[in-house]
Amino acid sequence: MNKAAPLNYNFFTPNVWLLIFFMGTGAIFAFFRFFYGFGSVTNLNAAYPFGIWIAFDVACGVALAAGGFTTAAIVEIFGRDKYHALVRPAILTAFIGYFLVGLAVFFDLGKYYNIWHALVYWNGTSVLFEVAWCVMLYLTVLGIENIPVVVEQFKGRVNLPGQLASFNRPSEWLLGQADNILNRTMAFFVIAGVVLSFGHQSSLGTMMLIAPYKLHDLWYTPLSPLLFLTSAVSVGLPMVIFEASLATVLFKREPETELLADIAKYIPMFLGTYLLLRIGDLAYRGVLAQAFDGSVQGNSFLVEFALFAVPYFMLKRRKIRRNALKLFLCALSVILGVVLNRFNVFLIGMDMGPEFNYFPSVGEFAVTFAFLAFGVFIYRMAVNYLPILEEQ
Amino acid sequence: MDISRRKFLQIGAVASGSVVCAGVKPASARDLREPNPEWLGMLNDTTRCIGCKACQVACKKENKLPKESTLNEAANVGRDVYDAPRGLSDRTYTLIKMQQAKEGGKATFVKTQCMHCSEPACASACIVGALKKQDNGAVAYDSKLCMGCRYCMVACPFSVPQFEWQNAIPSIKKCTFCRETRLKEGKPTACSTACPAGAITFGKRTELIKIARQRIEEDPERYQDHVYGEKEVGGTGVLYLARPKMQFASLGLPAFEYRTVAGLTESIQHRIFQYFIPPVAVYSVLGGIMYYNQRRKKNGGEEGGSHE
Repeated sequence: MNKAAPLNYNFFTPNVWLLIFFMGTGAIFAFFRFFYGFGSVTNLNAAYPFGIWIAFDVACGVALAAGGFTTAAIVEIFGRDKYHALVRPAILTAFIGYFLVGLAVFFDLGKYYNIWHALVYWNGTSVLFEVAWCVMLYLTVLGIENIPVVVEQFKGRVNLPGQLASFNRPSEWLLGQADNILNRTMAFFVIAGVVLSFGHQSSLGTMMLIAPYKLHDLWYTPLSPLLFLTSAVSVGLPMVIFEASLATVLFKREPETELLADIAKYIPMFLGTYLLLRIGDLAYRGVLAQAFDGSVQGNSFLVEFALFAVPYFMLKRRKIRRNALKLFLCALSVILGVVLNRFNVFLIGMDMGPEFNYFPSVGEFAVTFAFLAFGVFIYRMAVNYLPILEEQ
Repeated sequence: MDISRRKFLQIGAVASGSVVCAGVKPASARDLREPNPEWLGMLNDTTRCIGCKACQVACKKENKLPKESTLNEAANVGRDVYDAPRGLSDRTYTLIKMQQAKEGGKATFVKTQCMHCSEPACASACIVGALKKQDNGAVAYDSKLCMGCRYCMVACPFSVPQFEWQNAIPSIKKCTFCRETRLKEGKPTACSTACPAGAITFGKRTELIKIARQRIEEDPERYQDHVYGEKEVGGTGVLYLARPKMQFASLGLPAFEYRTVAGLTESIQHRIFQYFIPPVAVYSVLGGIMYYNQRRKKNGGEEGGSHE
């Protein structure tokens, strides 16, 4: 097995400057949001109190970070060690994803400075309460799961410049302790990460069930938590494939097609479970006909369903899995399917009547793009200076 | 390989199965809580309302709410002249809307405000419990606790809670039931006191239901035999009467079911965390699988080509 190593490329490439540009633009709009109110930046209104900052940054963010717990489960729990190379990048991106989810929540809260109230003032009946706790605990777990990477890079090599040199020994001691403790307890955190993921991935699906008279029948189902969970599990590996493929192109690395093709064989299994539950639920509740009534919601459902179903049939075939481009496109399809599904539940399926509508403003898009850019920026920094990707 | 893969499936099925049992089964809503006989409420008689909007004015005065102009006077005249809200907002807690019912085509004036539900979905949804049903029947909001997540706005079936979109530090705004300003001193709500037509009756909810029934009984020509809010969404503190042969839905009062809005989410939440059994069960199953796989590896049963 190859060892992971930092890339140590030149950091400030034109692409990185592009990321910084996006982050800067978002920061300008964020300034207005924080000092002049939501009205100055967003198109949110009484009927649509949740916009893309919730539907995309939070709901999709959490779902797309599922690569972390699915990969960890397959490799560490189910013992498929040959996919080892995929774990570190997956855990890293999950950590970045959840970090950004937290940040997005902070931006979206009217009284962001009260965010700690979620820890102190409990309301057990609230779905958000469960989501908040799980996300927070899981972010902590992901942080811990990433510590070995830092330890590996710096243990025995701490060499702070100038006056900070006196901190060298305490830092070494800290790294040594962390290494020692984590070696023995990592299994506990790995499983905890999976359980916590199960918890809040499904709870996000419970969230909009609070609005039975607003959410469209195609998505309002008691099965929603399970559908959210299974779709999140389904999108885990496609995210890993998506990221690995992009890293291959952007960092000019050797393609890992064989490894990715191999792990992709699990995707149809997860997707199949999801699709079976989805169709079964719609048929059981007798609302399938609404998908074909030509409404925005109906059409949106059909697109969503196709984005899941097509890669399911494609990825069953070995030949397609072995083709890097087709594999990438299939992964992309699943990702877009999950994104559209979350948008459907949180925005498009929220039928508030003809007099209300919502389309994200330029400012909302800018802030969302800034979050995405920030995520890529952190990833770029991490793989550059920490042993995340394996040496080739 | 094939055997282990089947095992993978089986175990996955067990794990997800336990989640299914935990999360999905409780489709049935829990039982309704018995309404407290001490709860206060209001009875809005749409057959009596003349649409004078005195209640709106009284509400704005009582809660010191600014004018809301839709005529762009601020730009044209330099100040707001008319108060012309179009819907509930952070500056308008109650509003008279003229509804043209499809059946009969008669205009009916309907007062909108917080319904002060017996089982408020907003209170169930609020992550920090900033919205709470009080002993006097009011659904009260605590802006100091609130984080501004706006989940209450999603939860409310009547879309009552409003957000201060224009404020840097926004709060939720809605009808207070004059809890702090008048109820404390034993006075009825400002809107009910202001009404010149006797269309808003203030009192204990149980009494109001009796009054409503009496009115229906005494004048069945005038009233529809239904008290809106007695049962809808588990009961509301503000009740409505309407003329016969008229859908409440066409008055902006949708035909909601009698069970509570938050029943499903609450029972799902409840099951997931019942004595922490489901999470602990999933944890143990996964732990068992991990232990099994690691032991097998140690015993030389290599799988997947690992050489660690």
